Amino acid sequence: MPDFSEIFSLQSILNYNGGCVVAMRGKNCVAIACDLRFGVQAQTISTDFERVFEVGPHLYIGLPGLATDTQTVFQRLQFRIKMYEMREGRRVKPRTLMAMVQNLLYERRFGPYFVEPVIAGLHPTTKEPYICALDLIGCECEPEDFVVSGTCSESLYGMCETTWREDMEPDDLFECISQSLVNAFDRDALSGWGAVVHVIEQDKVTTRYLKCRQD
Amino acid sequence: MDSLEDIHTGFQFSNFARNETLVAKGFPMPKSRKTGTTIAGVVFKDGVVLGADTRATEGDIIADKNCSKIHYLQPNMYCCGAGTAADLVMTTQLMASQLELHRLNTGRQVPVVAANRMLKQMLFRYQGYIGAALVLGGVDKHGSHIYSIHPHGSTDRLPYTTMGSGSLAAMSVFEVHWKPDLELEEAKQLVRDAIAGGIFNDLGSGSNVDLCIITKDGATMLRPYDVANVKGQRQGKYIYKTGTTDILSTSVRPIQIVSETVRKVGEEEMETA
Amino acid sequence: MALEALHGITRYHSKNEMLRDEMMIPDMENLSNQCQLAIPSIPKGEVNVGEYLVDETGRKIKLNYAHGTTTLGFKFDGGVIMAVDSRATSGQYIGSGNVKKIIEINPYLLGTMAGGAADCTYWERVLAKQCRIYELRNRERISVAAASKLLANMVYQYKGYGLSMGVMIAGWDKKGPGLYYVDNDGNRMPGNAFSVGSGSIYAYGVLDSGYSKDLSDAEAQELGRRAIYHATHRDAYSGGIVRVYHIKEDGWIKISEEDCKDLHYKYADEKSAFS
Repeated sequence: MPDFSEIFSLQSILNYNGGCVVAMRGKNCVAIACDLRFGVQAQTISTDFERVFEVGPHLYIGLPGLATDTQTVFQRLQFRIKMYEMREGRRVKPRTLMAMVQNLLYERRFGPYFVEPVIAGLHPTTKEPYICALDLIGCECEPEDFVVSGTCSESLYGMCETTWREDMEPDDLFECISQSLVNAFDRDALSGWGAVVHVIEQDKVTTRYLKCRQD
Repeated sequence: MDSLEDIHTGFQFSNFARNETLVAKGFPMPKSRKTGTTIAGVVFKDGVVLGADTRATEGDIIADKNCSKIHYLQPNMYCCGAGTAADLVMTTQLMASQLELHRLNTGRQVPVVAANRMLKQMLFRYQGYIGAALVLGGVDKHGSHIYSIHPHGSTDRLPYTTMGSGSLAAMSVFEVHWKPDLELEEAKQLVRDAIAGGIFNDLGSGSNVDLCIITKDGATMLRPYDVANVKGQRQGKYIYKTGTTDILSTSVRPIQIVSETVRKVGEEEMETA
Repeated sequence: MALEALHGITRYHSKNEMLRDEMMIPDMENLSNQCQLAIPSIPKGEVNVGEYLVDETGRKIKLNYAHGTTTLGFKFDGGVIMAVDSRATSGQYIGSGNVKKIIEINPYLLGTMAGGAADCTYWERVLAKQCRIYELRNRERISVAAASKLLANMVYQYKGYGLSMGVMIAGWDKKGPGLYYVDNDGNRMPGNAFSVGSGSIYAYGVLDSGYSKDLSDAEAQELGRRAIYHATHRDAYSGGIVRVYHIKEDGWIKISEEDCKDLHYKYADEKSAFS
């Protein structure tokens, strides 16, 4: 019988487990969303693998990429964040977190972790929205509108580029980010199987799980 | 090992063997973000003008349409970068702090030659593995200087130079129009034209033109100086009405402030003496 | 003339020879004879043509659409069930979500599609023509065995040239229900149950656990549907719509075409209602 799996074997290690993350800026709020698939190439292992983590009341980080590195990087990051917060006696600010992740990744410039992080949050005092994406060796990108990362980043760029508008209210932002994410990963074989969206506002964080295709 | 983590300085190679094994197994190394880039610098009558485009690429997709490629080193010194984006950011950050320490140690403005020397020595040590191609520009007591610094550590001191994938397009503009003792406005226009040459003729460069003007009175960033590609107006509206997305479950976590203390702190100067 | 000489082309020896060559329209071979594909001028067996599908950086050029698939077919007392998904991928990108992977050869014969979509559709179209010619010549319908053998023989001609197909041919003839597996290696075998494609391992799991000869029609159809649905859930390269066909004595009928998303939440509701 012909081996149909062969054709898929030669691809980037960043796509080995699948998964994607997107973050968007709104009016006095930010949203970050990810899919829930954990797979090994073509095989879907589980559909409750969250790759967006809370690192502060208003601060989230998404770590799409190789799942082993998603977990390792998050644990190492958590260690650094806790050490920082104990030493400094204050919460870590979004841009500080970015610098922290940047240092963590660039330290391994010649043997990188295979993750491309996305950060979304509000400044603890000014409440200024912040989004940012980094590549796997820690080059930051801090645009005004949205950031994408993961296996269907190209589709996500297309969706976000057309749906994102300035000054969206939290409800509009939720619809915009959800539709962008779901429609993008429905064109990608390696991500999907559920999605979680966090909308971060000054006084609350709303987490929603979406009804998605399961194929 | 975690407790030792903070003691380590310099690069870590603990993932290196694993990653090489993956490459051997047929998983190619993922591409890091590159700047593609057209960068340029000229010396004019009263100082230097540095210029850069604002496109960052990851393979064949544009990762950032408006990234900043002119990096701060010192109040009298800026540096344009082309190559691996992370290397440029981290190298210029490191240099900025090293130069600041040097300034504090010596108690005087750092000359541009010193920055050039430090950069080339660092890059030479890494034998080209740090993929940073730089155009360093600054004004000090010796005058105005432009240096081009290559990833392997070789440097040139030039009156005008270009770097990056669009360097040929930009250089052709300089070769025709550059002359000694340009006026400021002439120099700005010349650098803009050179960068625009890269933006329109090189696929790795695009979007806007950033400029940085350095004279003995200090530096001015013009970002963007010129929007070479004005984005078209979107005709249709793509608005999803509330309720479009099917939701399985919602949880709202209010952020309650248990106590709030405000401590007024006066701006305190760092000890620099 | 200079260009010809540069390419080392010898001049025509006679006027007749030139006329003959000009009258032959190139690349027309498979219009007159569908089994005649333009093959590269490399001796067969010396090289696998598939190896040539590599670009200058050594990356494989993906020519084959619809590589990932789940298809299945099984015989039981009530006839033959065929069920397929509808996803077409090129690499990880989902090119289409509503491909027809069951090819209706004639009212009594069905073929499935796995591997290269173009290869499958082309050869099964040729097969449809051959089957019709057989009917006209012999005044009776072709048997499933004969039809599958026609296909196997046709693709065997091109063994080693990089065709990619794993298909099932199913139908009803004098001997009753028939089901054959045919692939590009030249394999052809009859059987009671097959599943082909990247999701076949998952489909086999469900199929084998629920299979018995004496299923009712509704049970058999549901078994096929469930097997494909579970495969689409686990296999990244299968999905879209689950199509179920049933072949009985008087030909095939289309049973259902259901979206995987609807099926998933329907099954989930049934499961929660049950427990």
